[in-house]
Amino acid sequence: MGYSLNPDQTAELLNRLAEDYRIYAPKRFPKQGRYSDTDIIRYDRIQTPDEIVWDQKSDYPAKEVISPIQQALFYFTEDEYRESKKAKKPVLLLARPCDITAQLVQEKIYAENGGFKDLYYDRVHNKVKFAVMDCGGGDDTCFCVSMGSNKPENYSLAFKFDENGLKAEVSDDCFADYFDGMPEDDFTPEFVEENELKVTIPDLSDRDVRLALKSHPMWKEFDKRCISCGSCTVACSTCTCFTTRDICYGDNPEVGERRRVTASCQVAGFDQMAGQREIRSTAGDRMRYKILHKFHDHKARFGDRHMCVGCGRCTHMCPEFISISATVNKMADAVDEIKASLADGGNHVE
Amino acid sequence: MNHDIDVKKMRINCFRQSKVPGEFMLQMRAPGGMVDAKYLSSIEHISKTWGDGNFHFGTRQTFDIPGIKYENIDAVNEYIENYITEVDEELCDVDMDKVAGEPQEWDVKSGYPTIGARNITACVGNYHCICGNMNTYELARKIEPIIFPSHYHIKINISGCPNDCNKAHMCDFGIIGTAKMEYHPERCIACGACVRNCEHGATRVLSLNEDTGRVEKDPCCCVGCGECVRACPAGAWTRSEKKLYKIIIGGRTGRQTPRAGKMFLNWASEDVVLNVLRNWQKFSAWVMDYKPEYLHGGHLIDRAGYKKFKEIILDGVELNPECLVAEDIFWHETEYRSNFNVKPLSMHHTAGPQGE
Repeated sequence: MGYSLNPDQTAELLNRLAEDYRIYAPKRFPKQGRYSDTDIIRYDRIQTPDEIVWDQKSDYPAKEVISPIQQALFYFTEDEYRESKKAKKPVLLLARPCDITAQLVQEKIYAENGGFKDLYYDRVHNKVKFAVMDCGGGDDTCFCVSMGSNKPENYSLAFKFDENGLKAEVSDDCFADYFDGMPEDDFTPEFVEENELKVTIPDLSDRDVRLALKSHPMWKEFDKRCISCGSCTVACSTCTCFTTRDICYGDNPEVGERRRVTASCQVAGFDQMAGQREIRSTAGDRMRYKILHKFHDHKARFGDRHMCVGCGRCTHMCPEFISISATVNKMADAVDEIKASLADGGNHVE
Repeated sequence: MNHDIDVKKMRINCFRQSKVPGEFMLQMRAPGGMVDAKYLSSIEHISKTWGDGNFHFGTRQTFDIPGIKYENIDAVNEYIENYITEVDEELCDVDMDKVAGEPQEWDVKSGYPTIGARNITACVGNYHCICGNMNTYELARKIEPIIFPSHYHIKINISGCPNDCNKAHMCDFGIIGTAKMEYHPERCIACGACVRNCEHGATRVLSLNEDTGRVEKDPCCCVGCGECVRACPAGAWTRSEKKLYKIIIGGRTGRQTPRAGKMFLNWASEDVVLNVLRNWQKFSAWVMDYKPEYLHGGHLIDRAGYKKFKEIILDGVELNPECLVAEDIFWHETEYRSNFNVKPLSMHHTAGPQGE
């Protein structure tokens, strides 16, 4: 069922929904950007429709609502512990198609990897309903169509905001009552069919090609350009890596909490092991790891789709202007070169 | 040619004497060093029509046009009416019919009425720069009507951040844009990027507490530069919305006692900066017994003594709660001549009203 709401009716709808849901959406934080007098847009709890930023991509991803940057997992006192309390009220998350598709990847890692379901993820995730927001085609860093994330399936509501209010489609009956008395309209969501930016992912099924790619000089570029800050992975819609920290209260080591904290494969020390050994000790190595993880390894392991959803937030947030799409295209060129060289008698590219 | 020219009068009119007899260089104000690029064609026109065809970037960000013959100065002054009106009157809201706050009608065809309050210089600031904490030229445009036109000398340099590219430390009244940084521990991933950036590029006030996974700060020594904000991948550091400023006073170059300025105010609000500057004329007038001399602000502070300066300049100024004030200032000058300062009492300068 479709509806067309004016601004007052939109506010009324949110009021009704807020009785039963905590509503999260992209919200503007004025002057909190990396540079002076720039804003950031990130997901946060909203109360009124004018807080929702629907005409611009958020700087940080929707995943923060479900798996926040930091969270207390449990509290301990001597030999006892107690789980952190879970929020009772369900969440309605207004997110873009790429954000919603990204949740399939998050779910895969947190709930379906290695036969273990992450309790702290699961108990939040189970309480989330999605409203897909029309993105108007995104911006020049978006390549969701190339990554097949432009048409999500798992959503309860579809919203299209504009200056005149909201067009909505209810696809999950449990939301029907909230629209009682609202003007009906034959709205159905449309998803972006083509991005300005297109990415071709090279075929890496050949082990020899992968081995040659690993030592290809293309990665050395990032030793100089990448500052290993991790902005890309914090902004990534699909990255799930975290570390845990036990924090003791005051000077008493018997009392404290265990926290989950976002980690980044791009930050030096991420893969440091006992004896101080690091597997990927240069920025180029770390970039290669990330790119291959997003555009080969994940799919090779789970089979369904590449990890990257093409939301472009890593490109958008990189302070050094490293573009993930340009990097994938460079990798595609390197792979062509490697394949030609292998076909030409197997001379390994150095 | 007949060289009967009052060069001091020409200087007040912003025409500076050339080593070539009868030639002058015009200095056009550009507050904050920022004007519409359309004026470049006016500069070109003046240079090609009345100057020697060259242009120099003035050291105080004025448009300098050398080689203007004395007999052409009236024509040049007539031509620059439009520039002065648009840039100073309209853009900066300057009252051209006052000098140091006293009514004095401006003859629109006569060019600049005073040279005392020098052009306010500024780096490009956050209009462009990734380090800047503030819009420098907008502040310059707010200050311009407070100090200009006036025969009292003041050189103001504005830097958008404590990197101080525009050398707030080397002028009478330097302004440095800062912010109090706010830490959002719930967004911190404890990567240490801010700690490293602060150590590398600022005052090493941050440390990562491994026991808590939080970054700790020594707020006393924080310069408010924002390097932590720039470094953070997760938005765990943000600039406070309120713009704050460091005021550096008494810096100067010169043939006698050059010195870097010292901090007078830290974490001052924009209102405080503007209100302090509103007292500048009063302070200058008092020191020089109400007779403007060709003497810059740093020297005036020396003559009055810092405590007297502080008393007059803060008169009636309501400080914002964060604002800190130097109780004293410990100057560190380069003495080109040893014991330069030790001389007969009769040679000492005076400060304040001298009576009859």
